Amino acid sequence: MTVNTKNLLRLGALLGVATLALAGCSPASSDDTAGDAASASTLTVWIDAERVDALKPAAAAYTEKTGVEVDLVSKDNATLKDDFIQQVPTGKGPDITMGAHDWLGELVTNGVVSPIELGDKADDFLPVAITASTYDGQVYELPYAVENLALLRNADLVPEAATSYDDMIAKGTATGVTYPFLVEQGVDGNPYHLYPFQTSFGAPVFGTDSTGGYDAAQLEIGNAGGEAFAAWLSAQGKTGTGVFNTEITGDIAKTAFTSGDAAFWLTGPWNVGAALDAGINLAVDPIAAPSTGAAAPFAGVKGFFISEQSENKVAANDFLVNYMATEDVQTALFESGEVLPALKASAEAASSDPIVAGFAAVGAEAVPMPAIPAMGQVWQFWGIAQAAIINGEDPTATWQKLAADVQGAIG
Amino acid sequence: MRTDDTDVSTTKPSKRQHRAAMVAEAASGGLKAILVKMALLGVVDAVALYGLFILFLQQQWLIFALVALVTLVVNWIYFTPGKLPAKYLTPGVIFLVVFQIFVVGYTAYIGFTNYSTGHNSDKAQAISALMSSAQERVPDSPSYAVTVLDQFGTLSFLVTDPGGEVSLGSADSPLAPVNDATITGGEAVGLDGYTTLSFQDILSRTAEITALTVPFSDDPNDGALRTNDGSSAYLYLSSLVYDEQADTMTDAQTGTVFSDTGDGAFVSATGEEMLPGWRINVGFDNFARAFTEKGIRTPLISVTLWTITFAALSMATTFFLGLFLAIVFNDMRMKGRKFYRVAMILPYAFPAFLSALVWAGMLSESFGFVNQVLLGGAQIPWLTNEWLAKISILVVNLWLGFPYMFLVCTGALQSIPAELEEAATVDGARPWAVFRLIKLPLLLVSVAPLLIASFAFNFNNFNLIYMLTGGGPRDAAADVNVGATDILISMVYKVAFTGQARDYGLASAFSIIIFILVAVISVIAFRKTKALEELNR
Amino acid sequence: MTSVDEGTRVIPQKRPFTFKRWFGRTGWRHAIGIVMVVFSGFPLLYVLSASLNPQGTLTGSNELFSQVGFEAYARILNSPDAPFAQWFGNTIVIAGTTSILTVFLGALAAYSFSRMRFTGRRVGLLTLVLVQMFPQLLAVVAIFLVMSTIGDLFPAIGLNTQVGLIMVYLGGALGVNTYLMYGFFNTIPSSIDEAAKIDGASHARIFFTIILRLVAPILAVVGLLSFIATTNDFVVASVLLIDPEKQTLAVGLYKLVSNPNYADWSAFSAGAVLAALPVMALFLYLQKYIVGGLTAGSDK
Repeated sequence: MTVNTKNLLRLGALLGVATLALAGCSPASSDDTAGDAASASTLTVWIDAERVDALKPAAAAYTEKTGVEVDLVSKDNATLKDDFIQQVPTGKGPDITMGAHDWLGELVTNGVVSPIELGDKADDFLPVAITASTYDGQVYELPYAVENLALLRNADLVPEAATSYDDMIAKGTATGVTYPFLVEQGVDGNPYHLYPFQTSFGAPVFGTDSTGGYDAAQLEIGNAGGEAFAAWLSAQGKTGTGVFNTEITGDIAKTAFTSGDAAFWLTGPWNVGAALDAGINLAVDPIAAPSTGAAAPFAGVKGFFISEQSENKVAANDFLVNYMATEDVQTALFESGEVLPALKASAEAASSDPIVAGFAAVGAEAVPMPAIPAMGQVWQFWGIAQAAIINGEDPTATWQKLAADVQGAIG
Repeated sequence: MRTDDTDVSTTKPSKRQHRAAMVAEAASGGLKAILVKMALLGVVDAVALYGLFILFLQQQWLIFALVALVTLVVNWIYFTPGKLPAKYLTPGVIFLVVFQIFVVGYTAYIGFTNYSTGHNSDKAQAISALMSSAQERVPDSPSYAVTVLDQFGTLSFLVTDPGGEVSLGSADSPLAPVNDATITGGEAVGLDGYTTLSFQDILSRTAEITALTVPFSDDPNDGALRTNDGSSAYLYLSSLVYDEQADTMTDAQTGTVFSDTGDGAFVSATGEEMLPGWRINVGFDNFARAFTEKGIRTPLISVTLWTITFAALSMATTFFLGLFLAIVFNDMRMKGRKFYRVAMILPYAFPAFLSALVWAGMLSESFGFVNQVLLGGAQIPWLTNEWLAKISILVVNLWLGFPYMFLVCTGALQSIPAELEEAATVDGARPWAVFRLIKLPLLLVSVAPLLIASFAFNFNNFNLIYMLTGGGPRDAAADVNVGATDILISMVYKVAFTGQARDYGLASAFSIIIFILVAVISVIAFRKTKALEELNR
Repeated sequence: MTSVDEGTRVIPQKRPFTFKRWFGRTGWRHAIGIVMVVFSGFPLLYVLSASLNPQGTLTGSNELFSQVGFEAYARILNSPDAPFAQWFGNTIVIAGTTSILTVFLGALAAYSFSRMRFTGRRVGLLTLVLVQMFPQLLAVVAIFLVMSTIGDLFPAIGLNTQVGLIMVYLGGALGVNTYLMYGFFNTIPSSIDEAAKIDGASHARIFFTIILRLVAPILAVVGLLSFIATTNDFVVASVLLIDPEKQTLAVGLYKLVSNPNYADWSAFSAGAVLAALPVMALFLYLQKYIVGGLTAGSDK
């Protein structure tokens, strides 16, 4: 009896399970055919969270014009590149991603981006934007913005632009504020922010080859100009004037300048908003050169890449080349971020704003940040050497060691 | 705790009634349980069957077999009597295997491959990427307006050159002039006998159209027209020629032949590598490199010692502070315990990287709160002196980690019966003796494994090091990129992921080596703490 | 420290209040409490100050609370592409579900390890801890692969689904915390189970109705730990959840500061402060179970 009952219960259980299972099956099978048609005309675009708003109208207008859905996915800027490289080969990546030109070396070496043919439109862009977007003779990025450093001046404290670095320090010191001049550093230095001074001494990182691209074989960093820069840097550091200090982080510099405790600040367009919001009477000047050469900062060119594994390459190319490269869209993107547009016409329009014009004037001198893989070897030694010099190490010896270490690592 | 259902049976213990009682038990309390079990298993099986159905349709036989096997095992476990441990363990183990063991297995597998920058995908993708980058536009060639036409499924380009000349071509027939095309706005848009593709058609045939190359003339050196957007075409010459038969890439200009020599990339006779390459199995190469790499070998001993010190001290400091606080606030007589306890949890409730940033700011030499306010303008290099940085790391990790230990100890303390303590106190034992002789041994029964786990966690606490000091301060005179507070895992990160080069294969090999190291230490510790002997109780 | 009291315990008569006696009993505990409140709370004042200062930097200045305003809170609560309320809800649902299921799966496993003897038990216990010691450098790549495969076959539980994310979190349900529960289970005398077994209760009934109540403190602790860990997870959630309306607070907030040049620290700090509230609330609620276990345990 008992045994039977138990078995009966068990049988009932099995039957119940089976019924549920069958019920689970039937409605589900219908929905897996719908997927393909929709995905064929949907472009997935990864973008920085800050730019979603700016692209929304453009995406909607493109959908209206062509029927292609544009799915804007806001991504974390810090993980975007790695996610892209990891996901493209799986076929799950986006069709288009936003990014910066200095990723190019890594993206191309990994075979995850597809060349973009701009045709005659290439002439519509700022030259630096096109140079930066080109890797091994191919354009891989549709540029939309050019970012570079410039010298912010508190015009209430200093009414006139400085003519040279020494003039700037003199003018800044005369105001009596805590910091005549601020530049962001860190424990491991910050070569990006010091590069304009380095170029003024005639010491770029790499020389260029015949096509204008950087050539890893021509390492220029250790030349005589480099050593002169190192000596100068040392004089501005701990044992010298103390203007440069590795303790001054971006946060500290921002707080000091926005509260009126600094006369000059070498920084990028990203900090303009904070300074204006704080009520600073802001002027944007060319970077005051410490030596005879022009103080040329790095230019960072933001833009869009097309995935090599995209199944919608026609739509992706059409969207970027025939739509994103238009003045309206570039201007809308500019308005969202106040960063100089890469398209000449939009850049001109934007330059009616004196602040943008100030950055654009400096940008005309700017050189693209090298995207070649050898640059990675430079970064790991560069900042630490500069920080050591600022903190009082022997400039010549430290700089020579830097050049030797980089040369050794590039091989 | 006993339920009422069984009461009937205990009154008259005749055999028959006893049996009836068991039926009743099965039918009342047991039935409810069986119903719940049935429903749950039903859901599981429904999902599994649906999954099998989909897998069957997609012909994923390996996964099909796995899912079927797991489903059968699960049903077998729950429908046959006995196998109690399996009944309790199966649900958790399934998730563990799919999401944790797989991660371990995958990482181990990557350790035997050359997965890195430049070896990111498979060979087919590498070839297609190489070929698409090799399409070089013929210098000074114009831009052509193009309309894509279809005739019996064959695609053609209807091309209008900048001079207004119209021509037609397809993959097999080079461009030839046509003069009866429909012209709109100076651009040919249609031709009799051909269907003009709409933008929608172009989108749905993307793959075909982007692959279409229309020869400009009979001479292949003149290049071929291609379009990326379906509306403008350009003249391209490929700088590479791929020979599928021989599996070689030839540079069209220099004539250099690159062949697949089994190294995961096309390599020329002189050893020049063409990237992107693809992923291949490289055996123990990564492990060999792990022991020969200069950036690892030189600082290995000092970094390993610091890693062990850091992990052990972090474990000890957080545990003792947590335990101490748990005991202090476990006194029923104390008012405001709730408030203090919540405050204790605060560091744990905020994102660790935010706290690490704040700490880094507070410990800044010239501007930080600690030097400026607490120490009245002292210039103590908390994060830039080798030894102070190590101390700072430990203090910050104490701050980040003690709430966890506090919570765990507070919970574990509850397993110690209050009578035990009272009895001991009445017997005249001092509080310290009560703690050391009674509470601590009992507590260690539950938390000893946790201490070992905490040691292992801190052994690999990459985030803390990365966020607070980045491994620094680094000796600028040293020629390897390793700082005073670098632990093994952060050193590995620096070596495997310098600049733009990411070597996942090498990093995975290191992960395995580090894992073996930690696991050995942990197993020995388990033996030593008698945690395992305790299991045999 | 408390040695003064030994004699007073047995004499419950009222005695005049003396500071020395109060301090000996509980006062010193308050002193420690205040020190700890300062130690644990102080760095967070920077976060609070940054959240109240609309233009604030996190560590730019030691003048905390120089400006007080709620603009940053308003900014995150009203921003159109940062559906903060939605993220908040998602986080609570995901973290709540994960912690309940983690406690359940973990308790099941801990019970079998504690009460049953079977082959592979010792190895199994050790494996649980060892698996979690594996460096997680490539975890995200591997999890993405698993979830994208699952998503190809069953979109409802694959990439970009919250169910999928919860499943990944449940992969960690058996682990160190299981060990913690296991240790606690061991301290409960097995005579309790045996008595119930003699009374005819099934193993399931013993587990669900007797044991689980006795181990309530540790269940609450593990639940809280799991809730906090899930709430703060960024790495896995950011890869799996793609649509903004599906994301969790951690993913949404990190995007505010991931680009160092455009980092909005005041909004991020405001979000972090708000995100800490449910954790605090949950802890306050669970405290009675965590500490209440004292009396429940002594009943038996």
